[in-house]
Amino acid sequence: MRKFAVVTGLIALSAAGLGAQSASTEIKSLHVQGNVWMLVGPVSNAVIQIGDDGVLVVDAMMEQQADAMVAEIKRLAGPNRIIRYLINTHVHLDHTGGNEKVAGAGRTIVAGNFAGQVAADSPATIIAHENVLNRMSAPTGKQASRATAAWPSDTFFDEEKDIFFNGEGIQLIHIPAAHTDGDVMVYFRKSDVIAAGDLYVNNTFPIVSIAEGGNYKGSVAALNRMIDIAIPRDKEEGGTWIVPGHGRLADEADVVDYRDMATVIHDRFADAIKKGMTLEQVKNARLVQDYGRWASDTGFWTTDKFVEAVYASLKPEPPKAPAAKTPAKPAAGGKK
Amino acid sequence: MQIAKRALFAVAVIGLAARPASAQIDLSGIWAPIMHEDQAERAPGPEIGDYAGLPITDAARSRGLTWDASLLTMPEHQCQPHPSTYGFRGVGNLRIWVDQDPQTQQVMSINTQIQWMEQRRKIWMDGRPHPPEYAAHTWQGFSTGHWEGDVLVVQTDHLKAGWIRRNGLPLSDKAGMEDRFIRHGDLMTHISMVYDPFYTSEPVVKTNGFRLGLANRLDPYPCESVTEVVRAKGAVPSHLPGTNKAIEEYAAKYNMPVAAAAGGADTALPEFAAKLKTMPVPAKAK
Amino acid sequence: MKRLTSATLKGSLYAAILTTATLAAQQQAPAPAPPTPRAAAPIDLTGNWVSIVNEDWRWRMMTPPKGDYTSVPLNNAGRAEADKWTEAQDGSCQAYGAGALMRMPTRVRISWQDDHTLKVETDAGTQTRLLHIAPVGSAPVEPPAGAPRSLQGYTAASWEFAGRGGALAFGQGGGGGGGRGGRGGPAPLPKFGTLHAVTTNLNGGWLRKNGVPYSQDAVVTENWDRFKSPNGDEWFVVTTVVSDPKYLAQDFVTSSHFKKEADGSKWSPSSCK
Repeated sequence: MRKFAVVTGLIALSAAGLGAQSASTEIKSLHVQGNVWMLVGPVSNAVIQIGDDGVLVVDAMMEQQADAMVAEIKRLAGPNRIIRYLINTHVHLDHTGGNEKVAGAGRTIVAGNFAGQVAADSPATIIAHENVLNRMSAPTGKQASRATAAWPSDTFFDEEKDIFFNGEGIQLIHIPAAHTDGDVMVYFRKSDVIAAGDLYVNNTFPIVSIAEGGNYKGSVAALNRMIDIAIPRDKEEGGTWIVPGHGRLADEADVVDYRDMATVIHDRFADAIKKGMTLEQVKNARLVQDYGRWASDTGFWTTDKFVEAVYASLKPEPPKAPAAKTPAKPAAGGKK
Repeated sequence: MQIAKRALFAVAVIGLAARPASAQIDLSGIWAPIMHEDQAERAPGPEIGDYAGLPITDAARSRGLTWDASLLTMPEHQCQPHPSTYGFRGVGNLRIWVDQDPQTQQVMSINTQIQWMEQRRKIWMDGRPHPPEYAAHTWQGFSTGHWEGDVLVVQTDHLKAGWIRRNGLPLSDKAGMEDRFIRHGDLMTHISMVYDPFYTSEPVVKTNGFRLGLANRLDPYPCESVTEVVRAKGAVPSHLPGTNKAIEEYAAKYNMPVAAAAGGADTALPEFAAKLKTMPVPAKAK
Repeated sequence: MKRLTSATLKGSLYAAILTTATLAAQQQAPAPAPPTPRAAAPIDLTGNWVSIVNEDWRWRMMTPPKGDYTSVPLNNAGRAEADKWTEAQDGSCQAYGAGALMRMPTRVRISWQDDHTLKVETDAGTQTRLLHIAPVGSAPVEPPAGAPRSLQGYTAASWEFAGRGGALAFGQGGGGGGGRGGRGGPAPLPKFGTLHAVTTNLNGGWLRKNGVPYSQDAVVTENWDRFKSPNGDEWFVVTTVVSDPKYLAQDFVTSSHFKKEADGSKWSPSSCK
């Protein structure tokens, strides 16, 4: 499979790549609906759910923002509500860099058979799709990309994981091969809020990390899934709210507009590839120039990288070479 | 004591009567749109490929040619109202009313509702700031107003992505609008100035009229989405680049050069009328 | 609390009455001559302007085909009259009369002919309109007796100042830019307002280049307003109401907007026939 070096930069998402933004620790908050708040950091968004059971956090921003994030959570939730769960929507550092500190500021719920085995001061449970753990950890003897304390402690590998917390059902919906291979969106059913992670961003083109198992087709599928879940209150406004991994608070109509853009671009690229156009030819054709609202020449996700990711996602895999034929063994006792 | 008090009160009354009236005007009531301008565009709808006179960018033109009217059959598009950047040019009566603080009588907001799809807009008059960048955007946007003499001047942002014209010419969610309400008796002139950093090369300025009527009414306008066209899941109707000949077809239909139908700021200038006569006109399709 | 004595009360009362009397006296004193309409103008319409034709584009930029009367509320008589038009008449000055001149794609040059008359010139059709503006607080200027009818008719205009919704008597300051009249003189006039104009004495014309008619009995009422766009451009809008019971089923209302230009370098007169 052809490797696109530019997209591997997403694995090593770093403060240097994000510039001065990542150094800021200013966290703003916005009550979305029901039990759910949106936390807006200088680089990415997070979501918290607050209730009598405690606090559930979706994404931990970057390590630099974690202390401020915890402070804001405490300000909103009050001193008696403890962070019990931290859900990672995917592996990237701008959403998991603060895992240790945010989970460390909380406490897991320990009971039953494990009460004697798990320390009473164990950090909050970190939940993620299994592929997030796979990318943070490493086989024995190899160097893990992240410290153990940041790893998810509770993973799942199928399409969905459900929990019930603070009076509402919460669905962790896995979208395979989208932004990465380990994405989940988190749907708070009673609050009627979707924490989309980077499955939906509205300040740039869809972000696709091919090297981490992402694919543009999955990104589009994720948007359609969100639209399936969301129900607007009236005249395509309000109702289900969607918190993007980056950008402003949105509702179904906003996701529809973004999905329409993503699908039109998908169709344009598919048509170009069908006509045999190379990546260079596709770039010269400027197939996304009329969607300048999401374009960027700077930052970690440029229009150029987006074009490359879409092309890589939609270009058919080259046919595999037929397996070499092995000569037949002579039968035992057979004539020479 | 009583005589003095009465005298002082009398002085106060005389004093108040000598003060001039404040420079504001009452816009309240139900106004009917006057469809003597752009009736064809505003009522039945613009023709596909008609971008004449509009200061659109190449990107807007490209989006317009990508757009397929069948998009409107999709359930998630059916109940979208006009954004405030377009609604005042659409169909349906307009109701304007005022919310006042019951204690101070200060006007807190001036509100508008346009009948079609119940476009409801609040224009804050209390000097509050606009929301932060990360707040939600709505169809009507976030509006604050002030008076310039008798003219209500309104600034709006936090809009959802909308349209310059409802034949595919888009507005992004970065668009903004300043609009003005000028009342002369029972006539009101509404001026909208819409700007978009991606899709307009200069503000799109439109002016249209409303007439106040004591018997005008505003009916509800509920909307329910249904499946009108069976499609593959996730399919979004659109035209691929280079395949949509709507501009050429529109130009041929009305005997105008393609450059006129394609729009752009220069097509709105008087000198373009002279240029028109020198440009070739596409042949009508047989 | 200090007790009010009879003397204190009397003194207060006398002072209050004296103040009121002074104010009343000031209001009754012979008023100085009102400012001329030019001096009193709450808005500045002078300069070079260009029409921005982004509404009714193909009915204004081009001659519409015969029989296309879209948007115009013609009655049966009007439709019958319009149906008489032929393409040979295209370019006629009938389309450049006061009823429709401001709807033309044109550059406009506005200047003061004198302190009472605003001159409006268009390069399209090379037309001139004179707006006779009444002094503040005066009745509209009537056309001279026996004045012939014309394509541009006779326009009687007045300034309408913000705060009153109508004509303002001199000395009655509005709230926009002025305030109470003080001892120094009458209140300054507001710097917000409209030019209201009524045109009569017409000899008829066309609302569109394809012969959509208005009769000589038509009355054209206009309101001219100034505004600025977010990018700093200066504009004016003229809302035009054509009332013509002979040819129109109802008043025909349009609003045409013009952007200011730095100078007249793009002025390009074209004649009509």
